[in-house]
Amino acid sequence: MREYQSGDRIIDFNDVCKAFGPKVIYRGLSLDVYAGETLTVIGGSGEGKSVMLKCLIGLLKPDSGSISAFGSDVTRMTERQLQAVRRRIGMLFQGAALFDSLTVHGNIAYPLVEQGWKDGKLIDERVAEVLELVGMPGTERMMPADLSGGMKKRVGLARAIAVHPEVILYDEPTTGLDPSNVRRIGKLIRDMQEKLQVTSIVVTHDMDSAFDVSDRFAMLYDKRIVWAGRPEDVHASHEQVVKDFIAGNIGSA
Amino acid sequence: MPTSTLGTADGQHPERPLSAISRVIGTRLIRFLAWLGMIASLTGRCVSSARHKFELGLSLTQVYYIGIQSLSITFLTAAFVGMIMTLQFQWGLERFGAALYAGKLVSLSFVMELGPTLTAVLVGGRVGAGMTAELGSMSVTEQIDAIRALGADPVGKLVVPRVLASVISLPVLVMIANVVGIFGSMVINTTSVGITPRFFWDQVVTTVDVSELMHGIIKSVFFGYFIGIIGCAGGLGIRGGTVGVGLGTTRTVVVTSVTILVGDFFLTKLLLPLT
Repeated sequence: MREYQSGDRIIDFNDVCKAFGPKVIYRGLSLDVYAGETLTVIGGSGEGKSVMLKCLIGLLKPDSGSISAFGSDVTRMTERQLQAVRRRIGMLFQGAALFDSLTVHGNIAYPLVEQGWKDGKLIDERVAEVLELVGMPGTERMMPADLSGGMKKRVGLARAIAVHPEVILYDEPTTGLDPSNVRRIGKLIRDMQEKLQVTSIVVTHDMDSAFDVSDRFAMLYDKRIVWAGRPEDVHASHEQVVKDFIAGNIGSA
Repeated sequence: MPTSTLGTADGQHPERPLSAISRVIGTRLIRFLAWLGMIASLTGRCVSSARHKFELGLSLTQVYYIGIQSLSITFLTAAFVGMIMTLQFQWGLERFGAALYAGKLVSLSFVMELGPTLTAVLVGGRVGAGMTAELGSMSVTEQIDAIRALGADPVGKLVVPRVLASVISLPVLVMIANVVGIFGSMVINTTSVGITPRFFWDQVVTTVDVSELMHGIIKSVFFGYFIGIIGCAGGLGIRGGTVGVGLGTTRTVVVTSVTILVGDFFLTKLLLPLT
C-alpha cells in the first residue's frame, strides 16, 4: 500500500561509507529519491553504482551511515525484516539474473508464489499480463537459455514488476544490448513510470538512454554524489567532473 | 666491512624460517576456524529457515537428484568392492585354513566401515561437486542475489533441501551398498571356495548384529550432513566468476572427502564403545 504522495522523499542515503577490504567505494555518500521520479545515477565503471542499489535492498551492508526506504532504516534490519522491504522494490539485474532451471513463466511466477499467491489461474493471468507489458506475449514456456540478451532483460523486468512494486531499480539496463533493444528498454522504463506510476532508480553509464528516461540525474564520482540535477541542467553544470563525464573524458575504466 | 647477511637493502631484517612457518600455520589455522564458523553459521541458518518455512517439494526433488541418481554408482562400487574384499580376505585367511569365513569379515567390515565411508566419499564427490558448481554458478550470475531481492530466503530455497536430501539419502544408499556388497561377497565365496549361499548367509546373520548395522547407519547420517553443508557452503562462497566455480568445485571434493575420513575416525571412536 502506498502511503506517500508523489514528490515525497521515500529513499534517503545518508552519509554512507562502504569499502571492500582496502578498496573504498563510498566515503560519505548522500542522496534523496522522491516518489514518482525516475532518477538516473551516472558515473564511470567501478564507481559503485550497482553497489548503491544492492545496499538499498540490503544485499550489501554499508560500513556506516544510514539508508532509509519508506521511512525505515534498512541498514539496521534483519534479513527477515528486509524481505518485507524487498517486496516493495523490484530490481532488474545487470545480467537479468533469470533462474536457469525455470521457464519464463516460472521466473515471473516466482515472486508471486513467494508473496503467497496460490491460485494458479490468477498467477497465469498475471504472468501473461506482465509479459504483454514488456512486449513478449506467448513466451511463457521458453527457457532463459533460449532468450537473447534483450529478451532476458525484458523477462527480468517482467519478473520485477509482477508483484506491483513501488520502486524499480534498474542496474545497467542497456549494457550489452544492440541499439534497437536499447531504445526498447528505454521505452519500457518510461512506460513503467507512466502506466504504473512507480519510482525508478536507474544506474547506467549510457548517457543517451539516461537522457531518454530520466527526470533527474545524480553523478557518482570520487566515492560520493558530486552533483544532482535535471537533465536539462547537465550541460549548464559548473561541475567540471560532470562536463568531463558528458564529454567522455572520464568514466570508462 | 661486508654488509651483514642478516640485513636487507631497506634496513629490515628478513623473516626467520621459524616465524615464517608459524605465520603460515597461524594463517591456515585462522582460515580453518573461520571456515568452521561459517559452516556452523550456515547450519544455524538452515535450522532457523526450516522452522520458518519448509520446502517439501524442493527437498523431494533433491532426494531424486542426490539419492536416486546415485544408485547406479553405489551399486557398481559396492558390488566390486565386496568381491575384491572377499578375494583379498580369502587369500589372507587361506594360510590359516579359514578361507571359508571370509564372508564374516567382509560383511562386518562392510556394514561398519566400508559401506558408509565408501558410499559417502563417492556420493560426496559426485553430489557435493554438483552442489558447489550449481550454487556457485547461481552466485556469480547474481541469481542468489535475485532470490533475496525477490523477498525469498536462498538458504531455505537452496541449502535446506540439499542438506536434508543428503541426510535422508545417504543412509538409504548405505543400506543398499551393504546389501549389494555382501551379495558380491557371496557370489565370490560360493564360486571360489564352494560354500553354499545358505552357509554364507548364516555366517553373515550370526556375525552382524543390529548395533553394528546402526553403527554404520548413524555414521552415514553425519556423512550426509557433511556432504550437503560443505557442498552448499562452497557454492555460496564462490567469488571470481567461472574460474572461481572451477576452483570451488575442486576444493569441495577435497574438503568433503577429508572431512568424511577425519569425521569417520572421531565417529568411530565415539560409537565403538556403544556398539
